[in-house]
Amino acid sequence: MPARPVAKALPKRRGLFEGFKGNIAAISLGVKYLIDPKRFTLIYPNEYIKLDPGYRGFIVLEKKKCINCSSCARICPAAAMKMIKLPEPDPRHPGKTKIKLWPVINYQRCIFCGYCVDVCPTEALYHVPYHDIVYENLAEMDWDLETFTKPPDYPTASEGMPVKYIVDEERGLVKVKAQEGEQ
Amino acid sequence: MSLVEVLASIVFYPPIYQLVIVGLIVTLGVVIIILWFERKATARVQRRLGPYHVAPKLAGMPQLLADLLRYAFQEIIIPRTVDRGVFITAPIIATVLSILPIAVVPFTSIPDYWPIPMDYSVLVALAISTVSPIFLVLAGWASNNKFSIIGGVREAFIITAYELIAILSILSVSAATLSFNFIDIVNAQMNTAWFIILNPIAFMAAFLAVLMSTSGFPFEIPESENEVVAGPFTEYSGILYGLNMGAAYMKRFAFSIILAVAFLGGWSPLTPGEGILYGYLLPSIVVIIKAFILMMVFSFLRSVYGRYRLDQALQGAWRLVFPMALIGFGIGIIEAYLGLT
Repeated sequence: MPARPVAKALPKRRGLFEGFKGNIAAISLGVKYLIDPKRFTLIYPNEYIKLDPGYRGFIVLEKKKCINCSSCARICPAAAMKMIKLPEPDPRHPGKTKIKLWPVINYQRCIFCGYCVDVCPTEALYHVPYHDIVYENLAEMDWDLETFTKPPDYPTASEGMPVKYIVDEERGLVKVKAQEGEQ
Repeated sequence: MSLVEVLASIVFYPPIYQLVIVGLIVTLGVVIIILWFERKATARVQRRLGPYHVAPKLAGMPQLLADLLRYAFQEIIIPRTVDRGVFITAPIIATVLSILPIAVVPFTSIPDYWPIPMDYSVLVALAISTVSPIFLVLAGWASNNKFSIIGGVREAFIITAYELIAILSILSVSAATLSFNFIDIVNAQMNTAWFIILNPIAFMAAFLAVLMSTSGFPFEIPESENEVVAGPFTEYSGILYGLNMGAAYMKRFAFSIILAVAFLGGWSPLTPGEGILYGYLLPSIVVIIKAFILMMVFSFLRSVYGRYRLDQALQGAWRLVFPMALIGFGIGIIEAYLGLT
C-alpha cells in the first residue's frame, strides 16, 4: 500500500517577544555556565578514579592457598586460565619430584568476568581494584606463574591523585578527592 | 633626533602603524587570543576543560600557537582539477581586503595621526569591507568541488542578506551626526552619549550583520562542517586554509573596530592630548580594547547557539533585521532633526 500523502502545516510562528525572550534566556544560561562551569572532567594521568574493593580488576593467585584443583581453568569462559605442569620436590619421597598443576592467566583473552574467583574453593584467587595497566607487547600479557602470584605494579597511583564521583542533587556529577583511609 | 625618536616616528607613521602594527601584528594576536577564548568559553559552557595539556598554568594558551605553526608548515596540496591561479590568490586577497578597513578608521582626533584625509571615511571603510566576500565565492568556484560550490553559493546568499543591513545600520550614525567623518561621530558621542545608548536598534542590527558576514555562530552557514565539509575551503590545506579561516576573524576584528568607533564611543573616556603617547598610542589602545570586548561577545555566542538553516537565516535577515536597520536609520534621522547629537 503506497504511503498516503499528508498535508503538512508549518509550525505556528512565535511572536517577536517570545523569540526575544527565548534568546535572552539562552544567553543568560550560557553566561551562568561560563561563570560557574560545573565541569567534572577526569584529568586522567594526574587524577584517577579510586575504585571500590568489589571491583573486578586484575586477578592474583595466592599460591599458599591453592589446592591445584583446576576449577578455575575449567570454568573460564574465555579459556584465558590454563593449568601448567611444574615439577617440584615430593615431601613423602625425598630425592624424587612430582608434577603439580598451577593456574596461569593470559590477559589477551581474559574478560574479567570473575568466575574463577567465585569458583575457587579455597579463595586462593582475588581481584585487585585496578585495571589500567599498559603492556608494551602482547607476549607480556601472557603471565607466568611468578607474575601471577603477586599483584601487578600500579604506576597511576604513584603519580596521580585518587578521586571519586558522587551525585549531587543540585550540581549533578561532582568530582571529590578520595579519602586516604577510605577503601 | 635620538634613535628612539626616529624609531617612534617610523613606527607611528600613521599608514605603517595602522596597517602593519595594528592591522597585522595586533590582529594576529587578537585572533589567537580570541580563538583560545572561544574554545575555552565553549568548553566551560559545555562542562568540558578545553585546551589544557600544553601548558596547564596558562590554561592551554600555547595550544593555539602550536596550531598556528602546524598550519604554517603543513604541505599545501593543490588538486589537479582546480583553477590554479585563482585558487592560490583568492584567500590571500580576501585576507588582505578583510583587514584593510582598519587603515581608514582613525584612532585619534589629532589630524597629524590620521592615515587618510577624513571626510568620507565611514563610506570608504564600508566600501572596502564589502569587497572581500567576493573572493570567498571565487575560492569556492575555483576549487571545482561540489561542496566548495555549495559553500560559495551559500556565501553569496549570505552576502545579499547582510550587506545592506550592515551599511544601513552603520550609516544611521552618519544620519544622526550629519557627517561621514569618524572624527565627527566620535566627537558627537563624547558630547552626548554613546550611540549604543542613543540608537540601540541600529547597533543590534549592525551586530547581527557583522555576525552574518564573518560566519559567526548562529549564521555559520557557508562552512558548516556537518553539511558541506568546509564550505568554500574544502580543497584548501596548510597556510592557505589557515588564511581562509583567519580571514573571517580578521574581518570580524576590522568590523569590531568600526563598531567600536561608530557605536561604542571610540577613544571616548580619553581625550587625545599632545605627543605620540597621549595623542596616538593610548587612544588606539582604548579602541582596540573595546573592539576586543566586542569580539569576545561575538565568540561567546558560539557556545550558546546552534546553526540556522540557510532559509531561516535569510528569512530572519530580511524580515527581522532589515526592518530593524531601517528603524535604526529612522531613529538616527529623528535624532538629527531633534538636535540630540
